[in-house]
Amino acid sequence: MASPGGQGGGGALSTRGGGGARRMKWALELSLGNTRSRDRQGGQGDVVYPIGYSEKPVPDTSIQETDKNLVEKRCWDVALGPLKQIPMNLFIMYMSGNTISIFPIMMVCMMAWRPIQALMSLSATFKLLESSSQQWLQGLVYLIGNLLGSALAIYKCQSMGLLPTHSSDWLAFIEPPQRMEIMGGGMVL
Amino acid sequence: MAKLILLCLDLIIFCITVNAVFEDQIGKFDWRQQYVGKVRFSHFDSHAQSSKKVLLATENNVFAALNTRTGELFWRHVDKTGPDGSIDALLHHAQDAVQVVGNGRLLRSWEINVGGLNWEIVLDSGSFQAACLVGQQDITKHVAILKKSVISLHYLSNGHQKWIENLPESETVDYQAIYSGGNGEVYALGVVPHSHIAVVAYSLEDGEIIKQISVEAPWLSNIQASCVVIGQGMLMCVDSPTVSLYMLDLHVQSQMTQIPLQSLGLEIASGFRPILVSTQPNPARQPLSEFFLQLGPEHYLLLQLNNGQIVTLRDFKPAILVAFATSGEKTVAAVMSPKNKTACSLNLFSAETGRRLLDTTLTFNMAPNGGKPEKLYVQAYLKKDDSVGYRVMVQTEDHTLTFIQQPGRVMWIREEALSDVVTMEMVDLPLTGTQAELEGEFGKKADGLMSMVLKRLSSQLILLQAWITHLWKLFYDARKPRSQVKNEVTIENLSRDEFNLQKMMVMVTASGKLFGIDSKTGSILWRHYLDNIPSNAAFKLMVQRTTAHFPHPPQCTLLIKDKDTGLATLHVFNPIFGKTSQVTSPALPQPILQSLMLPLMDQDYAKVLLLVDDQYKVSAFPSTKNVLQQLQEMASSIFFYLVDSSQGRLSGYRLRTDLSTELIWEVVIPTEIQKIVSVKGKRPNEHVHSQGRVMGDRSVLYKYLNPNLLAVVTESTDMHQERSFVGILLIDGVTGRVIHEAVQRRAKGPVHVVHSENWVVYEYWSTKSRRNEFSVIELYEGMELYNSTVFSSLDRPHAPQVLQQSYIFPSSISTMEATLTEKGITSRHLLIGLPSGGILSMPKMFLDPRRPEIVSEQSREENLIPYAPELPIRTEWFINYNQTVSRVRGIYTAPSGLESTCLVVAYGLDIYQTRVYPSKQFDVLKDDYDYMLISSVLLALFFATMISKRLAEVKLLNRAWR
Repeated sequence: MASPGGQGGGGALSTRGGGGARRMKWALELSLGNTRSRDRQGGQGDVVYPIGYSEKPVPDTSIQETDKNLVEKRCWDVALGPLKQIPMNLFIMYMSGNTISIFPIMMVCMMAWRPIQALMSLSATFKLLESSSQQWLQGLVYLIGNLLGSALAIYKCQSMGLLPTHSSDWLAFIEPPQRMEIMGGGMVL
Repeated sequence: MAKLILLCLDLIIFCITVNAVFEDQIGKFDWRQQYVGKVRFSHFDSHAQSSKKVLLATENNVFAALNTRTGELFWRHVDKTGPDGSIDALLHHAQDAVQVVGNGRLLRSWEINVGGLNWEIVLDSGSFQAACLVGQQDITKHVAILKKSVISLHYLSNGHQKWIENLPESETVDYQAIYSGGNGEVYALGVVPHSHIAVVAYSLEDGEIIKQISVEAPWLSNIQASCVVIGQGMLMCVDSPTVSLYMLDLHVQSQMTQIPLQSLGLEIASGFRPILVSTQPNPARQPLSEFFLQLGPEHYLLLQLNNGQIVTLRDFKPAILVAFATSGEKTVAAVMSPKNKTACSLNLFSAETGRRLLDTTLTFNMAPNGGKPEKLYVQAYLKKDDSVGYRVMVQTEDHTLTFIQQPGRVMWIREEALSDVVTMEMVDLPLTGTQAELEGEFGKKADGLMSMVLKRLSSQLILLQAWITHLWKLFYDARKPRSQVKNEVTIENLSRDEFNLQKMMVMVTASGKLFGIDSKTGSILWRHYLDNIPSNAAFKLMVQRTTAHFPHPPQCTLLIKDKDTGLATLHVFNPIFGKTSQVTSPALPQPILQSLMLPLMDQDYAKVLLLVDDQYKVSAFPSTKNVLQQLQEMASSIFFYLVDSSQGRLSGYRLRTDLSTELIWEVVIPTEIQKIVSVKGKRPNEHVHSQGRVMGDRSVLYKYLNPNLLAVVTESTDMHQERSFVGILLIDGVTGRVIHEAVQRRAKGPVHVVHSENWVVYEYWSTKSRRNEFSVIELYEGMELYNSTVFSSLDRPHAPQVLQQSYIFPSSISTMEATLTEKGITSRHLLIGLPSGGILSMPKMFLDPRRPEIVSEQSREENLIPYAPELPIRTEWFINYNQTVSRVRGIYTAPSGLESTCLVVAYGLDIYQTRVYPSKQFDVLKDDYDYMLISSVLLALFFATMISKRLAEVKLLNRAWR
């Protein structure tokens, strides 16, 4: 609720929300606070600045530095996200078993779909990582993580027997061989 | 663990399709027709005026009662086949029918109203000669049986023997006939051929010989064929070499009186053996003194013995058949005479005077492709005004029974030839006229763009019109109550249904009559009698052209071979209409050994039939230039095999370009040790969808699908139960290579074999364990296919893997066949005809040599049932529920348009048609599928979406206003 640079003594009561995005139909201000006067761009000369107050904002270099770290950290979070999911996926895989029924199928579908989706929106993620200095490394990690995820899904499919890797999966497509000889006959009538 | 396995087994078995019909499905897809066979004896039940029964005893050992109003069976008793059950005599008295069965082995009495057995006694051994009812003072109480050396008398009421006497001089005298005139005496008539007649009279009371007469008769050899007893015990004989009648009074010792036929002004047609026909209306009284004398094939005389003089009452010429009939006190004679080529007229004459009775003409129209009348059975009845009315049952050469009422109304027709079906085929019905028109449009040759467009438009218009009329008909029929809507199938409105479930059954019977039967209803749509078919003919029916080649008519060819002369004829006909085809069948001067249908077609889409004669030369039918050219091109890849069972020789031939053949292989099975019983190839229209089997580890075991494989079954000639054996030989028909050989020791036939896909199933009697056993052989190529694109028997370096397993079957079987479907995707069942009349549909899964003895993970994965030696018979496997099919001789299976459905026809004494679904109806929505529910849910959902969309819009708008 406190406005930046607001005086401690000025208790302005306002129904304005913290976001300030919503426009209210009405607002009651019980005391003339600095906030309001500041808005009015010095229309009233009776405002007294405290000592040492400067209208220009002072650049805070220390905060800038932590921001940078935060961005970096955030970017690593994004990049490592898929890798972090893998143990969880492994656990789910183990729990769901190899039987073919609706729940394991749903799990496998989700497991397979998420990395694919991520890989498809790779450019958007890269844009997200643009601000980071280790952008390429992070991108690579992200990619590897997703590839690992999908490999895991494929492995799961394989262990469930959903992949057409056996000759029996192609059996239905084998055409009956053509007959080279014509043969007939029987018992002498 | 055992429990677990059992549970597993149960589960698997429950998963297997269970294919029983529901009660309301009875008769929906299936029908049964019951037959009796060619009639040997027939009696009309005349003891009650209103009775509508006719008793029939037939050559097929069937005893039945028919409803004379409808021709349906009241009851039927099917006895053993062969001489053991043959009906030697049938006597009818009041409520009882007395039967002598099995060459005089049994005497039976039946109650004719319900067909129950009154009593049955075993007679003394000895070959049966004759039987007659014996009465005294108008009461018939006994039946006399004459055998080779004894005569016995039995009570009609309980069958007890009253007396039995040895016949005098039975070594020399051949006793052939028995007679009783109701005067307390029973006469046994015997003959010493070309010497004398011996007459022995027995007393009815105690069997004492009253008198014994011996009369010179050097001309006589057979009493039954040439003598009858008429009047007051006068034996009347006819002899053709001396052209005279002979007369003998049985009561007095005297010479035979010779009456030359010339003295009566009569003469015998050249080469004809005259026949006498007499009648004894009441066994307790004397026979009538009137009798028929047949002098020529179409010449009868009604004669009367009057005070020792023979008087001609009436001369019937031309007359085909005559018969006596009695109603009350009146005896009449019915005479059938030809009217024109297609009709006969029947007239009734008074037996006493020979006068024609008024208003008794009856016309019998002979079917255009039927046989000639052969026997006449007359049912006479007294009308209210005391005149005589009558109905007749005519038996024709083609074993048809026709029951006719005055003045020629056919009440019913029974096609008894169908009790002996030899072979059959099912042919697709043609498309409807409009569909055919459309098809034909594309068949014709194109002549200009404009005319093609016009043609196209016009045919589309025709289709539209047909569719509208169909809709209109549907609408019109829907308003009528269901019972009134008749869907009678006639030959005109025959057309293929949507799924090709209705087909034409072409049946060939032993009598030489061909039938076209609608498979849906069982109604006979056409019949065609081929006369002069030899009695021991072999038939082979082939479909040369199906209905798929409009506008060419479908074409079937029947090869008829006389086994005595070896000569064969071809009957070419249209299977839909039964008409003989215009195509001239080739003359076959040489005896024919076999025929072979090639997949080649001539320019008219008729498949080529090759006929192999005894010089091993081949003739083609049709033999146009085109065909001969094709044959020349293909000759090197056309092979055929011949199996001569009498010499134990299997031989393979290759066709040369000049239509001669060369022997390329020969296998001789020594006939002194074993004989070839049957040879089974694969059905040419069989499709195998899956080329292999998936194992538990998901690899593939490929099937050995050799289309040229033959299963040859042999039986040992030594029938001793320790040494007899059954052998099975799998031979490649092209190369003669023996693929596999199996011998079942201490087993004997009859062996039933089914050979299909990559398996052979056979059934035999194990003399060792005294039970029926099934054995199955399956052939596999292994884990790899040798050549997946073409199959050539000449290039098969690896022998297949052979697996075999045997099982115990709790019943003997009559016949066996496998189901067949369009694409071969559906699992296979074995259809087993049991002697009890059931048809069992057993999943092939139970006969699988890979059934494991110890269940493993992999076998469970494969759905293999653990091995159990006994094969079960489950009641729900009987596809004919309670519709017993007597004496099944063959089962025919045909694919339908639906992959899940296989059409089945079982034939024997009865004919039964049904459908089977070996993998359930996976391609058909169920009968009780709730269309209403589904569509209403869909509609409701649709509207719900519409409404909720609208609501959502409104809500969004409101929110925007806020």
